[in-house]
Amino acid sequence: MPALSGELVVFTIASILAIGFALAMVLQKTPVRSVLSLVVTFFGLAIFSIQLAAPFIAVLQVFVYAGAILVLFLFVIMLLNLSQEATEEDARPIQRRLGFVAALALGGVLSGAALRAPMPKGVAPAITPLADEIPMIGRLLFSDYLLAFEALSFLLLVAAVGALLLSKRRFE
Amino acid sequence: MSPTLSAALEGLGKIVFIWGVVLAAMLPNLIWMERRIAGLIQDRPGPNRVGPFGLFQAFADVLKMFMKEDVVPIYADRLLHTLAPFILLVPSLAVVAVVPFGSRIPLFGREISLVVADVNIGILYVFALASVGVYGLVLAGWASNNKFALMGGIRSSAQVISYELSMGLAAIATLMAAGSLRLTRVVEYQANGTFLGFLPLWNCFTQPLGCIIFIIAAFAETNRVPFDLPEAEAELVAGYHTEYSGFRFGAFFMAEYLNLVASSMMMTTLYFGGWSFPFLPHAGLAGGLLSIAVFFAKTMCFIFLFMWVRWTLPRFRFDQLMDIGWKALLPLSLLNLLWTGALVLLKVI
Repeated sequence: MPALSGELVVFTIASILAIGFALAMVLQKTPVRSVLSLVVTFFGLAIFSIQLAAPFIAVLQVFVYAGAILVLFLFVIMLLNLSQEATEEDARPIQRRLGFVAALALGGVLSGAALRAPMPKGVAPAITPLADEIPMIGRLLFSDYLLAFEALSFLLLVAAVGALLLSKRRFE
Repeated sequence: MSPTLSAALEGLGKIVFIWGVVLAAMLPNLIWMERRIAGLIQDRPGPNRVGPFGLFQAFADVLKMFMKEDVVPIYADRLLHTLAPFILLVPSLAVVAVVPFGSRIPLFGREISLVVADVNIGILYVFALASVGVYGLVLAGWASNNKFALMGGIRSSAQVISYELSMGLAAIATLMAAGSLRLTRVVEYQANGTFLGFLPLWNCFTQPLGCIIFIIAAFAETNRVPFDLPEAEAELVAGYHTEYSGFRFGAFFMAEYLNLVASSMMMTTLYFGGWSFPFLPHAGLAGGLLSIAVFFAKTMCFIFLFMWVRWTLPRFRFDQLMDIGWKALLPLSLLNLLWTGALVLLKVI
């Protein structure tokens, strides 16, 4: 049992927020509320990143996921006016059963990995935050990981062109 | 006094100072200022009955808001309807934390840096918060269960997403010049140096295009005229806050002015040299106090600009809004990026 510290309190609160709202997202009947629960989950994850002395990752988490992607989700849900989840009976009941099995398998693998992970011996070394990690990230991105970076940007370009093509076809 | 305790006291003092100035000194006066400026521009006196020059008008307005009946529509989503105005309030309050509002002042034997949190991700933090603020408008529109409110909410999300892009691209150019995401660095870079030998090295001189793009995008982000389509009263009654009354409406009102203050502070910091001013000292106690005054004077100038524009220009149509954002501002902000890159490469700035 680790000693009670400010760090532990913050960690506990963030965990409860992240897990609780992740559950709420799945169980919620209204799509808009589901999106909002996911936003809170992302904030919980951002707090973890701050605790790991990685504020850059935390801000990107909020900026990209909560601020951009989920706003688009919300936008689409509101535009299509999905006030309620589709309530009619599933056309393919097998999907639900398969999903249950897949969820159990994934949960089993994850909890197995968590249980078998070696516990750190003694006191974990304190994390010293870097003075300015952003120039380092930039340099790595444009040297060691240049290929991955360019491949990703190409992928996004393809996605954008594809979306444009699909919407164009419908208008004609 | 132990170092931890005095550091904590220093932080607390700065927090109390900056939020005190924004909430207690600026906010009530902005309501009065806006109504007086409206009067000036429309050639009428404006509010002049409550107190000298109508200075206490804001208190009368706030009191009126609190006395009004607070109505929540029956078919509204109660929880989200209540939360929405506060989701809008919090980000604009939190932005103030990373804005350097002065240089440094020596006080009680300590060198105090006049910014609440000098984080190395400063500008990203500001943009992250700004992008979260839009939830307030969208949720207000959705939770009211009213078609006009919903239209307002959808419009605001489309608008904010469109203009955030050009705003971010414009701001990236200022970071390229300063070489850091830290806002204190951005201001220090502008404070120490000259451009072309006689101008201060403010980003508004070195990248005028970026500055104009940022200001236009800031108008759109704060939903002020000419970009107030989310609440266009001629078509949408009152847009996203149609179903709000009493103090909940007051919270929206307050959020609008806080956004105004936060945007003006960002313009001052990124493009107009923050707390610096040519030929004015900013070292020592007197210089430090002077730098605070310079910062707030600049901020007030931008707030005045916002109000001036509001009572002068008509509103855009929605297709015009989208055209400006995607076909004009976005390519121009890329051009500005290229321009700034060339300046940095040629070591002009």
